[in-house]
Amino acid sequence: MPTATTASTASTAASSATGPSRTRRTLALARAETRLFLRNRTAVVNSLLLPLLLVAAVPVLGFGGGEIQVGPRLVVSAIGVMLVFLTYTNLLATFVARREDLVLQRMRTGELTGAEVLLGTAAPTLLITFGQVALVGAGTAALGEWTAPVDVVLPLVALIGGGALMLLLAAASTAFTRTSESAQITALPLLLVSTTLSGLFFPLSVLPDPLATAARFLPLTPIVELSQLGLAGLTWSGAAVDWAGAWTAALLPLAVLAAWLGVGGSLARRGFRWAPRR
Amino acid sequence: MTGVDAHPTRTRTSRSGDAPAVEVVDLQRRYGSFEAVRGISFEVHPGEVFALLGVNGAGKTSALEVLEGLARPDGGTVRVLGGDPRRDHATVRPHLGVLLQSSGLPGDLTVGETVTTWARTLTDPRPVEEALAQVDMTGRADVRVRSLSGGERRRLDLALALLGRPRVLVLDEPTTGLDPESRRTVWSLVREMVRGGTAVVLTTHHLEEAEELADRIAILRSGRIELEGTPTEIAATQPATIRFDLGPAAPPLPPLPGVRVVTPSPRVELHTHDLQPALTALLAWAADRELTLTGLQARAASLERAFLAVADGATTTSDRSTPESRSA
Repeated sequence: MPTATTASTASTAASSATGPSRTRRTLALARAETRLFLRNRTAVVNSLLLPLLLVAAVPVLGFGGGEIQVGPRLVVSAIGVMLVFLTYTNLLATFVARREDLVLQRMRTGELTGAEVLLGTAAPTLLITFGQVALVGAGTAALGEWTAPVDVVLPLVALIGGGALMLLLAAASTAFTRTSESAQITALPLLLVSTTLSGLFFPLSVLPDPLATAARFLPLTPIVELSQLGLAGLTWSGAAVDWAGAWTAALLPLAVLAAWLGVGGSLARRGFRWAPRR
Repeated sequence: MTGVDAHPTRTRTSRSGDAPAVEVVDLQRRYGSFEAVRGISFEVHPGEVFALLGVNGAGKTSALEVLEGLARPDGGTVRVLGGDPRRDHATVRPHLGVLLQSSGLPGDLTVGETVTTWARTLTDPRPVEEALAQVDMTGRADVRVRSLSGGERRRLDLALALLGRPRVLVLDEPTTGLDPESRRTVWSLVREMVRGGTAVVLTTHHLEEAEELADRIAILRSGRIELEGTPTEIAATQPATIRFDLGPAAPPLPPLPGVRVVTPSPRVELHTHDLQPALTALLAWAADRELTLTGLQARAASLERAFLAVADGATTTSDRSTPESRSA
């Protein structure tokens, strides 16, 4: 039997030592999760392929080359589509799979806090989302379909806030998702309703007023609005704005996004379970 | 709550001389209307092993989950090193090692990567090589967790539980599913931790394990502690047994001091709290009459008997099917 350091010497060391910071702990887990992702070749190829196909569609389908550059609009679409169809569904499936495999409960027995476990587990998905959006931006720029954004802060807030919101909503959705396979189905309502009415596929201003107003309060809409204001300088109703106008128009979507983060946080806190139901 | 008391004052002189490392007072847990744990209390001191025994559904895991900081108690209090395992996360967790009854690890990381990752989240981790050597897995660092055998996986679990040099170790069925050799490895690791002053709380189905490791044992039934004491004290609550066969022509048994006849002739079973005089009287009687007591057995009271006696009681109460390991 190999020898172990006695716990008495260990305890004096432990009581004087300060542990790794929250960030370092989360990064340790994020690193392991990223390594796991990179070992899954299908997932890696898929996540590279999707944005490249999106960019390739521009010349193939004959978009672009017109007076208005399509790059910014395409990046707005990428942010909306990636957040919902990749970030949210992926995180939901991952959280449920880790819960059912009893990994989450195990992670919680150490010094990591619950929030650190969730963030560390979500890290690769969030990184891929940001990477894919950047890839779409870079791709369209390479095609010469890029214009300087009206504001860079708003789209960054949209992307990061959107990522956080998807994490919280995915955590909340685990409450009614038993297996990672069923994640595709349980996620469907949020996917369909919020993407359809987010202003991604048609401007919300074509809807009757009350419906358009209601749609602006759905979770994905402020993310699309903020990205569009910053990248394309267009409001939700399609009016062109400058930098000051963009920020004025951004107040409502910023507030809606903040409110959703609050709602998502409390739903996640209430609905999330660390262990499978027996 | 002030959190962990790093230098407990010595108030006792027994072998477990420090302030209790674990204090459980009137702990209760409910799932809906079902009461899984109905007010249990115990203390575990540094350098002491406390074993919770009980059939499935007795409430062992439900009780441990509160110690582990994974669940909130519905009543009562739990203190680990003076702190609340949930609220005082930052002060308690660095000193708490937990082995869950069943838990998962990502299958596509190697053993080495798994331990390294876990170590990076801890305040005062052992070196990875030492952790692997502890559980005899030195040569397995490059193997994916997916490819490990059940026993190896359990030993890896244990290595992670010990990785932070815990002062309090909670082990939920540490050796279930292990081969005898691995089980011995686990036992000697636990003993080593205890020698270093770690307080250990464990649950087990193996009475041999409780006898081997535990300083004190509590037998749990339907969420209550039915019996508590040292293994010897607990065994002593049960009578010793004498068994033998008598031929059909044998005379009736004489009255024997302090003996209860459980089964009469021809397959006799006697219970007594005082084995030696009872046996002496019996053998003298048999010698007098030149009788052969075929298949004579005399067994001292055992922990197993005590456990079965309490567990038998459990079969008559209703809640056998309830989920002890609701969240494993």
